[in-house]
Amino acid sequence: MGINWVEIVWTMMAAASLTLGFVHLLVWFKQRSRYASLAFFMLATSVAVFSASELSMMGAQTPAAYATALRWAHVPICVIALSIIAFVHFHFGAGRLWLVCAAAAFRLLTLLLNFVTGVNINFEDVTALEHLTLWGGFVASVPVGIPNPWQIVTQIGNLLLVAFVADASITLWRRGDPVTRRRAALVGGSILLFIFGVTGFGMLILAGVVHAPTILTPGFLIIVMAMSYELSWDVIAAAQLAAKLHTSEISLRASEEQFRAVVESVPNAILLVDAQGKVTLTNPQAQALFGYAREELIGRPVELLIPEGYRSAHETFRQSHAAEARAQATGVARELYALQKDGREVPVEMVLKPMRTVDASFVLVSLVDVTERRQNERTAARQRDEIAHLSRVAALGELSGSLAHEINQPLMGILSNAQAAQRFLERDDVNLDEVREILVDIVEDDKRAGEVIRRLRALLKKGEMQKRPLDINSVVDDVVRLTRNDLMNRDVAVTTELTPDLPPVVGDQIQLQQVLLNLVMNACEAMEAVSEPSQVHIRTRRTDGGSVEMSVSDRGGGIPPGDLERIFEPFVTAKEHGTGLGLSICRTIIGAHGGRLWAENIGAGATFRCTLPLSGHAG
Amino acid sequence: MSSGTPIVFVVDDDASVQRGLKRLLRSAGFTAETFASASEFLERYDRNAVGCVILDLAMPCFDGLQMQKALTDQGSLLPIIFLTGHGDVVTSVQAMKGGAVDFLTKPVTDDELLSAVRVAILRCEALYRAREEIANIRGRVATLTPREREVLMHLLSGKLNKQIAADLGTVEHTIKVHRARVMQKMQAHTLAALVRLAERAGIEATPPNEG
Repeated sequence: MGINWVEIVWTMMAAASLTLGFVHLLVWFKQRSRYASLAFFMLATSVAVFSASELSMMGAQTPAAYATALRWAHVPICVIALSIIAFVHFHFGAGRLWLVCAAAAFRLLTLLLNFVTGVNINFEDVTALEHLTLWGGFVASVPVGIPNPWQIVTQIGNLLLVAFVADASITLWRRGDPVTRRRAALVGGSILLFIFGVTGFGMLILAGVVHAPTILTPGFLIIVMAMSYELSWDVIAAAQLAAKLHTSEISLRASEEQFRAVVESVPNAILLVDAQGKVTLTNPQAQALFGYAREELIGRPVELLIPEGYRSAHETFRQSHAAEARAQATGVARELYALQKDGREVPVEMVLKPMRTVDASFVLVSLVDVTERRQNERTAARQRDEIAHLSRVAALGELSGSLAHEINQPLMGILSNAQAAQRFLERDDVNLDEVREILVDIVEDDKRAGEVIRRLRALLKKGEMQKRPLDINSVVDDVVRLTRNDLMNRDVAVTTELTPDLPPVVGDQIQLQQVLLNLVMNACEAMEAVSEPSQVHIRTRRTDGGSVEMSVSDRGGGIPPGDLERIFEPFVTAKEHGTGLGLSICRTIIGAHGGRLWAENIGAGATFRCTLPLSGHAG
Repeated sequence: MSSGTPIVFVVDDDASVQRGLKRLLRSAGFTAETFASASEFLERYDRNAVGCVILDLAMPCFDGLQMQKALTDQGSLLPIIFLTGHGDVVTSVQAMKGGAVDFLTKPVTDDELLSAVRVAILRCEALYRAREEIANIRGRVATLTPREREVLMHLLSGKLNKQIAADLGTVEHTIKVHRARVMQKMQAHTLAALVRLAERAGIEATPPNEG
């Protein structure tokens, strides 16, 4: 009998299979969650065991010995089938659960029937053995006997296994990325190929159609190799991942350092606040702004830095802000204050930027101390108010004759009435009714003078701009009264077209009066050189854009188109004695009200239009 | 004619001032009429009335100075007292040149105003009297014959009878007769009285070299 090379090859295959199995058993020990490796180990071990069984089947000398060897060969086969199921299930992460259960159940049922029916699941009885001489002179036993009718259960089990693997492979293939497709094709394909090819071949032999020994071990080894190859990919991938992780850790550290450098070097004060409202990071600017040391800030609630009056509102704000994740600037529209360690409040402007990591959310708070800016703004506003006041005084100076008249008229009435009364009272026949009438006139005149003085005082008053809701028509009324006499002396007729019940605008009554006064006086001066009858038309109306418009039209021939904008620049004047500040101040005032002032040429002259936002829309 | 009581016309666009001034004037025994504008006054005032006008300088359309001119053009003898809210030298000079009695700044006291009114009324009466007298003298001159008028002119230029006779180419006796008739018609007893009458009526002597 020379060298039994079949025995050598089979033993080598078993050894190879076992080696691969143990390698992956080690992998499983390192990573207990990789059940696919465990399943592979079971499979490989079973294949080695089966290889021994197959050898003993081929070397059986009696039908009974063959039947017993085949019966026992079904134990590793069953484990192989279950291992395949487990491997596919865990490694593919796909496949229907009921198919898993059904395939496993039929395989176990096969094993059970294998031991309780016939001599094994394949044969009712093995009646004889044929001896086939294989390549190299090896004589293998081939059974002859009555097939076991229960074999059908094995076929169904095999079909279920095929269905399960096919289903899982197709599902995996559909998921699409190249790695999963490779896995589906390689593992799924080889398993299917084996089941179709090798078990089909085995069936044919056992059914006596083909006379050949049942050589299954090489097929099983192919599956083992395929699976091992597949699993080694995962090991390689894990190594690559580890390498990547390492580089990304380095770059993460670098970007963290960059982040730190940015945070440290920006001029803004920066705080990082976590979802619980605790400060987790600060920069020196923040420490300087709030007057705390770094250790005093880290881990403390951010409410520590908020003035008491805003604290409770802040907490609810913080919660709602965390919910909507977008950067927003605050402190521009409304005044925000930061609370310093020594209890002082500092005006700040703030930008919030929510940040999310895998396990936490933060808000990056960037703050700027705007004390200086606020002071500058205040200074600018004060200077604007002062210039406005000066120009008002100048405008009233031009009106002084007219204003003297406005006051002297009632004073004249009062004096003449009072002295008349004194004279009446000296007489014997005092007419008390007459004296009563005189007193009524005196009271009326006194009120009238008082009213003029009140208006004058208001205009002359030096003060900050005070915005409150007001009726633009009352502004027009006041100015028309103040200028009435002056316009009369200049032979200028004033007409008004006031829309009743206009919604209130927010503004400073005095400064708006000043603007209108300026526009009216400008209109008069524009008409001095014109021969046509002089007329100033003042109109108020509501615009489509949700604002109120006040316009002053003259018949002074208009403004050269190139100058329509230039006239609003300071020190530009068409008058001999003008300062050239009037219109520029008017525009500043209207701008500070959130409105617009511009000039147009309409009809026989110029029209100055001024829009003011409604009180509800004030910015 | 200076018939009836004097009337003070108040022209001011301010109703309250009108009422106050009217009462004050009434308390001092004057009759006052009020007007809201110059044009209303010019339409309605009594041209023969004696009295004066209290006029507000600053009024719409037609100001005080314009009205003063209009009144003068109409030959009115009513003196004007100006009232103004603020003293303005230029306008006050213009007003006074235009014949204003006074230029008062509002508010004006009763004494100031009433004394100005009294002066104005006196002036008005004097103006009426003067106008009457002139008319009277002119009436007398009108009764003179041409020859007598010639003699009058020569007398006014201070010539002696002899010189007049020579100038007119007649004898001294004839001149004497004419002269007596002139004195009688002109109701002048002395040559000085005759000269005064002529002056008042604005009659001037003809230059001596004439003829």
